[in-house]
Amino acid sequence: MKKELKLTVNGQPYELYVKPKTLLVQVLRDHLGLTGTKRGCNESSCGACTVILNGMAVKSCSILALQADGGKLMTVEGLASGTELHPLQRAFLDHGAFQCGFCTSGMLMASTALLNENPKPTKEQIKEGIDGNICRCTGYNSIIRAVTAVAKGEYKEGK
Amino acid sequence: MSKYSVIGQRVHRVDGPEKVTGNAKYTFDLVLPNMLYGKILRSPHPHAKILNIDTSQAEKLIGVKGVVTGKDTLGKKQGIWRRFSELCDEEILCREKVRYIGDPVAAVAAIDEDTAEEALDLIEVEYEPLPAVFDPMEALKEGAPQIHEGVELNINVTRHIEWGDVDEAFKKCDYIREDQFRCSSQAHMCMETHDAVASFDYSGKLTVWTSTQSAYYIQALLAGMLGLREGDVRVIKPPTGGGFGSKFELDSAQFCACVLSMKLCKPVKIVLTREEEFTATKRRTPMYYYLKLGAKKDGTLLAKEARVITEGGAYTGMGATALYLTGFFSSFPYKYPNYRYDGYRVYTNTAPTSAMRGFGAPQSVFTGESQLDMLAEDLGIDQIEIRRKNGMTPNYEVPGQAYIQSCGLHQCLDEIEKHIKKRGKLPPNRGIGIAAYGFMSGGIFNWFDTPYAFSAAIVRINIDGKVDLFTGACEIGQGSDTTLSMICAEELGIRLEDIRIHAGDTGICPPDLGAWGSRETLMNGNAVKMAAADAKRQLMEFAAAKMGVNITYDLDIKDRWIHIVNRPERGVSYFDIVKEAIRGRDGEVIIGRGHYTPHRKGMISPAYSFGLQAAEVEVDPETGRYKLINVTTAHESGTVINPLGIEGQLEGAIMMAGGYGFCEDQPMDEGKILNPSIADYKLIRSLDMPETEILEIDTYEPEGPFGAKEAGEGLTNPTAGAIGNAVYKAVGVRITDLPITPEKIFRALKEKEKQGKKSK
Amino acid sequence: MIKDFEYLAPKTLKEALTLVDKYGDDCKIIGGGQSLLILMRQGLVAPKYLISIKGLSELSYIKDTKEGLNIGALTTHRAIEKSPVIQKKFSVLAEMEQRLASIQTRNWGTIGGNLCHGEPAGDPAPVLIVLKATLTIASLKGERNMAVEDFSVDYFEVALKHGELLTEIQLPAAPPHTGTAYTKFNVIQSDLATVGVAVSITLGSGDGICQDIRIALGASAPTPMRAKQAEEVLRSKKITDNLLKKAGEVASTEAQPISDIAASEEYRRELVRVLVARVGNEALARAKA
Repeated sequence: MKKELKLTVNGQPYELYVKPKTLLVQVLRDHLGLTGTKRGCNESSCGACTVILNGMAVKSCSILALQADGGKLMTVEGLASGTELHPLQRAFLDHGAFQCGFCTSGMLMASTALLNENPKPTKEQIKEGIDGNICRCTGYNSIIRAVTAVAKGEYKEGK
Repeated sequence: MSKYSVIGQRVHRVDGPEKVTGNAKYTFDLVLPNMLYGKILRSPHPHAKILNIDTSQAEKLIGVKGVVTGKDTLGKKQGIWRRFSELCDEEILCREKVRYIGDPVAAVAAIDEDTAEEALDLIEVEYEPLPAVFDPMEALKEGAPQIHEGVELNINVTRHIEWGDVDEAFKKCDYIREDQFRCSSQAHMCMETHDAVASFDYSGKLTVWTSTQSAYYIQALLAGMLGLREGDVRVIKPPTGGGFGSKFELDSAQFCACVLSMKLCKPVKIVLTREEEFTATKRRTPMYYYLKLGAKKDGTLLAKEARVITEGGAYTGMGATALYLTGFFSSFPYKYPNYRYDGYRVYTNTAPTSAMRGFGAPQSVFTGESQLDMLAEDLGIDQIEIRRKNGMTPNYEVPGQAYIQSCGLHQCLDEIEKHIKKRGKLPPNRGIGIAAYGFMSGGIFNWFDTPYAFSAAIVRINIDGKVDLFTGACEIGQGSDTTLSMICAEELGIRLEDIRIHAGDTGICPPDLGAWGSRETLMNGNAVKMAAADAKRQLMEFAAAKMGVNITYDLDIKDRWIHIVNRPERGVSYFDIVKEAIRGRDGEVIIGRGHYTPHRKGMISPAYSFGLQAAEVEVDPETGRYKLINVTTAHESGTVINPLGIEGQLEGAIMMAGGYGFCEDQPMDEGKILNPSIADYKLIRSLDMPETEILEIDTYEPEGPFGAKEAGEGLTNPTAGAIGNAVYKAVGVRITDLPITPEKIFRALKEKEKQGKKSK
Repeated sequence: MIKDFEYLAPKTLKEALTLVDKYGDDCKIIGGGQSLLILMRQGLVAPKYLISIKGLSELSYIKDTKEGLNIGALTTHRAIEKSPVIQKKFSVLAEMEQRLASIQTRNWGTIGGNLCHGEPAGDPAPVLIVLKATLTIASLKGERNMAVEDFSVDYFEVALKHGELLTEIQLPAAPPHTGTAYTKFNVIQSDLATVGVAVSITLGSGDGICQDIRIALGASAPTPMRAKQAEEVLRSKKITDNLLKKAGEVASTEAQPISDIAASEEYRRELVRVLVARVGNEALARAKA
């Protein structure tokens, strides 16, 4: 019944053996111990489980792990390089773009995917980029300010 | 130039780096060796007797390690209003009766979640359904099903607030309005659902990691329910994904995990599903409001009478407080010479209603501000003018109830008046509505019957100058870890990075009542300030002796530099003094202790924050759909300790309070919540969020640490009221029952058109 | 919770058809699974075999032909949204996709999966209906074609027999002076439609008479439906504001909406009335442009 699954996560290759019903988010959290990705609902609505798969932002609770076989994933754990934070992480800190932090990983991944695809998004496009992610604490505007600051180049290397 | 070196700065949250890297470990992430996973079986009936529970088949399922029911408990009832035994009415694991759809009857622990869930299907429960009642108005009638034994007419709690003589005063009024409103429920929708990992060990000690707003309450309530000594129960609050009022009472995840763990002597983790979160955790109190308001023709308010019936749901919870506060805040923020409130909380066979951010005040403000606008229009008085005429001012006494020291309401009125002028002439179908509020900084009444100080803190200075701050305050996202660390650093005269905070662990932190009622900054802030001052004093004694100066008048410490006040270049490094002081005390670290309990500060709260919010909406008159365009808030919360924190709280409050007015609701049918999923429970997302602007008014609250008072909760009060007033300004219809949906606006417009045609 | 199943990931269409034929009632096909997994997680759907066709890249394409456009059933919503040829030739499709769910869902979910799910409030169906789209359905026996309009049979039920797989959607090239528009009514921007309205108008060259008209409604009946009576109000006429209003009124009586927690039946009818006129106006403006 179990099937082989090969994934590269944050540059690291993994070989796993999983039940077909296993969701991608379960592989990340329960099998690989990458608990940065969260789960906040059971109907693909909250976005807390957002990761980047093959360059696209996806909800990892809504993808069977086996469908991602051979894929390249990036989770929140892959944003920082050692202790050096990713520009979006620094911007989130500067702008207070999180409070309880539970939605934050998803927000960061959705924003990263957005900026990778479109480095100079408009405010409307940023809003659209995180519309799949619910935040109950911040009211979104601080997140939009943080992403805007990164898009404007305020967090280029050396700044 | 700020007179403070730490507070008032825009700093990174102290828990920031862990959160933005996904490294923070929430209860949701916790895994312990040999840990089992639990699931809860819940009643499908709104009201029923439990005749029998057969768990034998479930116990046989491979992977199931244990099943518990109410029979495995001590059969006690608990409640957060611990002082009043008649209000301790919730068993959690029901023994004889279930009172709402979702009431727990059994719990299973298994090797994984799926097995536990499968096992639930194998538990046979024999119910005898009883007649049920869902509307408080129906529950009050003679012959309605009695939900709790001995509680006549299902009246759970009543509250009465009165001053002056309203009946006489109404006779003197030039104009009187009577209006009715209906306020809906609302779900907290924390991103992290209720969860707990309970671990009972062979030495008889219980450790519980849980997402909570009050580790202390959970410790005390668990000890009572489980028959353990409080000291043998340790509750640890890891980083917590939101609370908003839903997480300071004992919940089913915590209790069932503990009962299972005690039976099996293994760690048990229970995480509620989002559906359980919607249907089986407590929610905002729906209310039926009747208001009578009387004024002189120049707009001076003379009297207000409020009668409120609230839908209590199946248990009391914090509903008694919501009942009281809604009546109290219905008198805010105006000077009523005569006021009377009567509130009735009625049991119903629905999910219990309790505390949610705002605590009854959003309902007070929606109803009160709507009615005030109506009165102002009837009298031909400007909406800002009437509020100016009657608004509270500093050092005002609410007769016999509360003393308000700082109050910046009038400055807020001025700022919003300017804001509205700046917005200029609005296009058709657009309107700006305002709503004013005043809210408490923590409550005074000791309904939990705790012998402890309401807040306490311990500061420990170590040999390297690093300070450990121990506090029971609970960081739930609102920023208390950062704010309290800032207060500590400011008082001690050192830097934020010199402080390491340990919070929300009953094993090592002194008790604090928790993060609710907007109390952490003022109450725990005062305790932290006192503890820091105590530790500082001990340090300064050494410095004073060493430098030969007067400790009180000549010495100060700022930015790690202990110096002579008039000759700041003469001083000594904090680090050096710490080393010498500790050596001089036989190597003992320096410990400072602080605590705070409000005494003689009136009946409600030691301090109040005020504000005025303006919401701008644009309505599509053909469909009733409307957009939230801009929400601008002038508010004052005393000295701003953590500016980034306050901005975040304000904008977040608009999302939540805006949702209360705009779209959030929990429609029910025969006690069943019809939208227990995020897809169906509408909330404001980024594309729906309006522009927000904050106008900070400078005030100083003598009661608070460095002059600070609350900011996180008051800001949820005004938005529904502002939206209601804005819709009226935009298209001339007033919706008096929440939420204000397009369909309601559409119907009201059609009705208005019909009336218009009739009168022609 | 999801019940255990056997997972099969065919590498070619032929392999997929063989498996689907073999397992019949015991299997379910999963594309992106953005709708199916919700049902499986709730235990509402529990197949013994799950056949994943997500990997069939041969079914993911957008082909510009002389006759129009062909879209492979496994093309993601996002690919359609971002496709330059679709933005140019059928911009209404890209606009519709932009408002569908969230970017995350659009990145993985497919147009074919969406149509096969048969959600009455779904966005793509009404738009494809007014664009006169047709479908190709394959099985081991061969292929058959049908109009999108006939694909939905009932609530969440489509005209797919066992052993069949949706493989392609065809969009005939729009005649000159054709304008198409779509809107969905909701309270939260990314929500499912409370009511969805799509209108396509083709004007005669020069005379401004409505030569062809299609009006399709979403979330107004058990399946996406054409408001044929409303269409007749406008067909062969010169379209005026009053006529559009009348069409809206007729459409609102033709619709068969339900009352649920999102809206009452009455209100849905009113929304149909208002939106058919509005969207019709927009389609008309585009046809004239």
